[in-house]
Amino acid sequence: MSEVGDKAAESRPKRTRIELLVREQDGHGFETREIPSAVAYLHSRPQRIPDADWEMARLPYAPQGVVTYALKNRRTEVIIQITETEKFLWGQMDGRASLQEIATSYLLHYGSFDFEIIPTLIVKLLRADLLTMRPVSRLRAVLARNRRNPAARAMEGTLHALERLTVTSRRSHQFFERVYRYGGFLLFSPWALAALAIMVVLGGRSAIAIWRDLGEVTHGLASHPLVAILLVKIVFWLTVVNHQIIHALACIHYRRRVREFGFTILHGFIPTFYADVTDIFMATRRARIVNAVAGPLFHLFLGFFCFWIAVRLEPGLIKGFLAASALLQLQSFVISLYPFWFLEMDGYHILVEMVGVPTLNHDSVRFVRESLWRRIRTATWLTRQEAICLAYFTLSLASLAGFVLLNVWLLTRAGKS
Amino acid sequence: MANLPEIGFLRRVLLFRDVEEPVLLALWPSFRERRLKKGDVLFRAGDPGEELFLIRDGSIVVSKPVTGRVEQVLSRLGEGEAFGEMSLFGDERRRSATCQAELDSVLYSLDRDSLSRFVTGSPVAAAKFFQQMAQVAFKRLRDSSELVAEVTRWGLEATGLDIEHK
Repeated sequence: MSEVGDKAAESRPKRTRIELLVREQDGHGFETREIPSAVAYLHSRPQRIPDADWEMARLPYAPQGVVTYALKNRRTEVIIQITETEKFLWGQMDGRASLQEIATSYLLHYGSFDFEIIPTLIVKLLRADLLTMRPVSRLRAVLARNRRNPAARAMEGTLHALERLTVTSRRSHQFFERVYRYGGFLLFSPWALAALAIMVVLGGRSAIAIWRDLGEVTHGLASHPLVAILLVKIVFWLTVVNHQIIHALACIHYRRRVREFGFTILHGFIPTFYADVTDIFMATRRARIVNAVAGPLFHLFLGFFCFWIAVRLEPGLIKGFLAASALLQLQSFVISLYPFWFLEMDGYHILVEMVGVPTLNHDSVRFVRESLWRRIRTATWLTRQEAICLAYFTLSLASLAGFVLLNVWLLTRAGKS
Repeated sequence: MANLPEIGFLRRVLLFRDVEEPVLLALWPSFRERRLKKGDVLFRAGDPGEELFLIRDGSIVVSKPVTGRVEQVLSRLGEGEAFGEMSLFGDERRRSATCQAELDSVLYSLDRDSLSRFVTGSPVAAAKFFQQMAQVAFKRLRDSSELVAEVTRWGLEATGLDIEHK
């Protein structure tokens, strides 16, 4: 073992040392010892969280032939992807074995050893709260550091109060099981796809017809502007519930658990409904993609359904409201499925499944911030994953810039007219 | 003090560097020689402190108890360096750390009363003495700050904590 430890210590850069004085057993005399941090690191004994707080599932797809696993923290619902060798190391992290002993086990098991694999894994596990630390948002950390400032204290208190405005049901699983049993299963049958296709065709034709008589819609809305705006907003907000219900039903369809369903103030200022379907990450890739697509498809169906009804009504507020709602639903469909926003919405999860990089958002920001300029300076080729991260970051940045510019253009145009 | 006055040595001690020779000659008899064998403990943290020490020869290790028989080494002092002044002029009269000889060492000690006589009898020299003592105190403060930073860095490296990206 010492050979492994020595080689490992040599391969790492020289680190800090502390000097300790150790007295003889009889109290006379002493010796001093320098302890490098790397040696202490080798002797540390990482301990994973209790077994009841995590679960692991083998991922059914293997990018580039590498077998990977999803490791989930049940308390924080954070899931990370680990390799076969990392799974082996995770199994050793029971709080009894030192890193040096774990390294020996690894060497005996695999016949070779790369010391960096352990620090890399530990950083990943710590970030997912699978070893010790608790996650905290940067904003909350900044506020906590500045509690002497009355404004920061007040903001922290407000955020805390808003976060407590969460209405949730942890027994929602049984409810959704019943909904699924009494008809929800139809949503995941070929009939549902056929109905959607028919509605897209009918709704598309209706949309064209409405476009030709756009004056009827705008006139209907303009005659009751305040009522129209409130109605469209409130109804849209309520349709978000359906989006979440469909995610929950998809979870049931694939025999996974709906952990929570409720209402919360997201990030302290966005009121929204939510369904905790993170258990779907332990299911198959197909299940995760279907789960992600199902919610947005509801907006697609509802959008064209609104157009289909609207075209049959006489001009007025209801027709205008339905047409505006239809546009809003189709917009939601596109926004939900568009992955390049730096936001982890449904489209992002589908993209992640396609490229096989589970922490793409985080990894891309980190790569650009920490490694990209070094790679450019040294003129080294990017790996496949780095190229994916760079592409995601660039497209997301361009999308955000485009979104901001579009809004500026619209506001400027509205101001001129 | 039986030996001949070692004015040259006192001049190498920062605290007495600017003190005039006649004052040093007058102070010399107040110094007491103390010999330590390698491994001997001069005093322990918490002991009452009544003396200032100058190192004539050898090496002294200053340490602070951590756990059981283990102590953290705070510093190593060699020839011409002084220590023990904190319990003479500080707010506590007890030793703040343990001092032991790493090698066979010869020290000169100056007790509280002798130092008080020196201060009251030679105010100009005492001002220079305290000016240097302030420099020593500042240096120790800087060293302590660096040690705290170093130990913190050590702890982060030893535990593998990635604070920046958490």
